[in-house]
Amino acid sequence: MAAPLPKRIIKETERLQSEPVPGISAEPHEENARYFDVKVDGPSGSCYEGGEFQLELFLPDDYPMCPPRIRFLTKIYHPNIDRLGRICLDVLKNNWSPALQIRTILLSIQALLGAPNPEDPLNEAVAKQWKENQPEAIKTAREWTTLYAQKK
Amino acid sequence: MKFGHEYEKVLASEGFPKQWLVSAIDYKFLKKCIKKIHKELQELGLDAQTIQKLSDPWDKSRNGAAKSAAERHDFYSAQPPHLDAIPEEFTPQLRVLVDRRTYTPLDATLAPETRQNLQKLAQHEVITAEHQAHWQQHARDEAPEQSQDPELHQEPTLSEPIDPKNVTWLQIPLASAKYFFDLLGPKLQELEQLREAETLKLEEEILELGARVEDVVEPVREGFEAKRRVSYRDLYFWREMFRLYLENPVFYSHHEAKPGALTFAEAKTRLQAYDQQLRQTGLLGKMKTPAARIAAKQFLDLNVSILKIIGFQEMNAEAMRKILKKFDKRTHLEGQHFLADLRTKYPALLPPTATTTGAAPATTVNTKPCCTIGFANTIAHDMYSEITSKILGIVPQLDDWSCPVCLEMAWRPVSLGCCRALYCIRCIIRLQDDETKRCPACNAETVLKADARNLNFEAMDFLEKYFPLETKKRQKENETASLAREYGEEFVKPGCAVM
Ligand SMILES: [Zn+2]
Ligand SMILES: [Zn+2]
Repeated sequence: MAAPLPKRIIKETERLQSEPVPGISAEPHEENARYFDVKVDGPSGSCYEGGEFQLELFLPDDYPMCPPRIRFLTKIYHPNIDRLGRICLDVLKNNWSPALQIRTILLSIQALLGAPNPEDPLNEAVAKQWKENQPEAIKTAREWTTLYAQKK
Repeated sequence: MKFGHEYEKVLASEGFPKQWLVSAIDYKFLKKCIKKIHKELQELGLDAQTIQKLSDPWDKSRNGAAKSAAERHDFYSAQPPHLDAIPEEFTPQLRVLVDRRTYTPLDATLAPETRQNLQKLAQHEVITAEHQAHWQQHARDEAPEQSQDPELHQEPTLSEPIDPKNVTWLQIPLASAKYFFDLLGPKLQELEQLREAETLKLEEEILELGARVEDVVEPVREGFEAKRRVSYRDLYFWREMFRLYLENPVFYSHHEAKPGALTFAEAKTRLQAYDQQLRQTGLLGKMKTPAARIAAKQFLDLNVSILKIIGFQEMNAEAMRKILKKFDKRTHLEGQHFLADLRTKYPALLPPTATTTGAAPATTVNTKPCCTIGFANTIAHDMYSEITSKILGIVPQLDDWSCPVCLEMAWRPVSLGCCRALYCIRCIIRLQDDETKRCPACNAETVLKADARNLNFEAMDFLEKYFPLETKKRQKENETASLAREYGEEFVKPGCAVM
């Protein structure tokens, strides 16, 4: 028999539904309440504006002692996100704190879209392009957004 | 016409106290004043068209060179100098470029009569100015220590160097326009005084009600078992009543997209919704002691009183906004500068979002504000924070006392000494087992050092007092958990739980 869902996860899920964060949604799966379908709107003013990015989020057994596992499902051109959608973000790794929550993590990811950091790359090729020819990189990011991140 | 009518109707029908109505802006009368100013200008030959035509390019030339304005025959403007340059109060005035010797206006596009009228005014102005200079000189002679900076007291930028030999700018005050502002100015002072007086009164009421609430929710009185059961339950009703209030505060919005003091209409809707919620949940009826029911009713009444003064002030702010808009439209004398002047005098008058450094007052008046305007804004802000701290704060909410790790009430609360976060002792042990070094709330490396000495007994007492039900619940959970650790999961499966 699966362990009962911790109160904390129930509370977080409730709050995500009752006080949604603008531009972000997270829906738990019916058969597995630790698995969420996430949608994040590209921040306005960024090259991801107008796009709606899908992610998957999973809360491991020892959450909140360890961070949620999360990756992009939508293809995205970003120096800190690799081809498999994995994200290079400090709060998802060394700087994780149990006081952080799903909503704060998703806000950080949205902020990362608004402020790509090619100095700490996960996707070397994209980061290289970002550093050497930023206008071109931004153009590609825009094109990918139109191509892959259209709202359904 | 429409607004004036509506304004008078609301003032008469909303049951505002008489002493408030005395301070209300007399919209109708001010409208008559505007007509008078309009007439005065027309008598000078300055119809709206002339003024508009001549003052518009000046507006643009503010950024560019004054010379280009002259090239466009802009020898005249209703525009007073920029506010920063006026040490005194704003007076509506014309700026006329005249011949230094004859005081003839130089604008060739002006009609001859207009020019003659202006010349007369200019001559008069020069004589008055000379008089003043004479008396000022006199005063300076008598009190020499006050004259350290005579430049400062002079009318600024009297001349604009276009052809400095023959030409000079003159400023001519407009009598009826000045009258208009002399009427409006004191009204605002009265409204400010009214705000102050009402705020004081309401603050006292809030303090009094706070004491009452404190009295009726006073939890767990030792030795008074009978009373305890009563107040114990009332405490939870009050908590729920205040939690609902905090979810949608009546006068203030926390919404991320649009935080700020709400307009009268929005606040009214919220108060009605809150009242409805209280009825539906039957919270008021559930309260056991009569004192609690009276206090609850007073809480609602207090909100109604605040709403009323907000409504009154908002109406007046709207009347002022409209009358100044009308003033500009009819006279083209840039009454907005009066607003800029007011803003420095009453920083509270305009909502923070609309407050600029005073450089571009024109736009802020015409855009519909996102939150309530005028003194209503200050009142809404002040009252919201007073209610929050002095009434709602008396009944602690669970969210403010929950452990950041499990999000439940901190059980056997531990303070790490680095910040104000309270953790359950079990959550800290879990962090230590996990070899997490840093405090989840503030990142200080305090977790591994924590032991029984970090138990916060003061907080424990507080939580037991104010959250008796939660304390019991967590106590039971904890017993179950330790049983599980001792005897295995099977022992505590539902069905064989030990009560
Ligand atoms: Zn805890
Ligand atoms: Zn700390």
